[in-house]
Amino acid sequence: MNSLDPRVKRLPQDVASNKEEAALSQFPTFEVFVQPNPKKPFQHEGAVHAPNLEMSYVMAKEAFTRRFTCSSLYVVETAKILVSAISEGDQNAFDLIEEPTKGTGNGMSFEIYLLQKRGKQTVHAGQVVASSPEEAMWNARQQFNKGTQVFQVWAIKTDDIRFTTVDEGDLWKTLPEKKFRDASDYKGGDKLKEFLDKSNSL
Amino acid sequence: MIEDATKELLYKMADDQLILGHRNSEWTGFGPLLEEDIAFSSMAQDKLGQSLALYQLLHQMGEAPPDTVAFMRESANFHNCIFTELPNGEYDFSLIRHFLFDAAEILRFEMLRESTFIPLSQLAVKITGELRYHDLHARTWIRQLGSATEESILRLQQSLTFSLPYALGIFEISPHEEVLRTEKIFEGENVLRNRWMERVEETLKTTELRLPPWESIVPVYGGRLGNHSEHLQPLLDEMSEVFKIDPTAEW
Repeated sequence: MNSLDPRVKRLPQDVASNKEEAALSQFPTFEVFVQPNPKKPFQHEGAVHAPNLEMSYVMAKEAFTRRFTCSSLYVVETAKILVSAISEGDQNAFDLIEEPTKGTGNGMSFEIYLLQKRGKQTVHAGQVVASSPEEAMWNARQQFNKGTQVFQVWAIKTDDIRFTTVDEGDLWKTLPEKKFRDASDYKGGDKLKEFLDKSNSL
Repeated sequence: MIEDATKELLYKMADDQLILGHRNSEWTGFGPLLEEDIAFSSMAQDKLGQSLALYQLLHQMGEAPPDTVAFMRESANFHNCIFTELPNGEYDFSLIRHFLFDAAEILRFEMLRESTFIPLSQLAVKITGELRYHDLHARTWIRQLGSATEESILRLQQSLTFSLPYALGIFEISPHEEVLRTEKIFEGENVLRNRWMERVEETLKTTELRLPPWESIVPVYGGRLGNHSEHLQPLLDEMSEVFKIDPTAEW
């Protein structure tokens, strides 16, 4: 495709020959999980691009927790999360999980996340021990299926996670007087109303 | 005497944060990737918030209100080190400056936790998280790019070599060192500089970047006394442009 329009030039022309370029121009993604306060479970917050796990932690902290209260945060590479099929209609996602052939490896810990409402975040439900992600899914079905509908189940190997260390807990200790970060601090609406009232009364 | 010394300390810290915060905010919208754009801009806002907190302490000591102090002074009355006012250039320079400056900053506030000037020691505790994050962010980037590709290492090395004389200018000796030390308000620039050198060495050791011998670097001083480079006044003009249209306006 030979066009003078830079937008057209950006389109991938031939995926195979562009592989190298694509690898250089796009970092992998990492999923970000946030705990709003120590009494609440971790919840999925979004994704960041980064060259590696440690960088993704640094990016995630400011991308997702710079405004609201947060007590802890962790990240894991998107590609390392096993997600179940998403359920349709009134199907329960747990019922779609099939029993895998029994693994022989050692037991590892997995974090299980459930999507309990469409359009909401997946929320941490607990841990299971399994020898593979597929087995973790199956064990989650045994352990967390209460019969109420869930829409999707995620399994994340605990060892793949970059956690916030105990020592890093004070990362969220910050100046409370930062209203200037919020749009509400700039009373543009009031001023506009005042201006309009004035000009209408002329 | 004690009051003059404390004010001088507060002014240089506040001016450093304001000027570097403004410089770093110039990257907003131009960062190398969206996530970094957000992080760097957010840290620039933290710096403005910290400068505001310090100007408020000065205001309580009888100095003019923060907005007046920030926007109405000429460059000769600013006490920031020259390092903070240098134009951004390429991102490698901004990252190196962020790394070198914020390493000094976290150590300075760690020392100030013990200050007998209570409002300042309280502020030092309050902003722990911000300082920790800035330091983590800077070190992670330097470790990453300092051992990634030939280009990234070369770029960082050039910026590091260029920046070191200016970075040593952070620790320009104050005329009030003695008072600050005996009154246990602040242990002094030399103590801070020595700790900073160790910290910088520690991070750079994990990279391909090389530090020249410290004694071979000639520090660029002057900023603390108001002798600035030609870059500060244009920055101040731009920063205060809107404020000066109507200094009495409420925001």
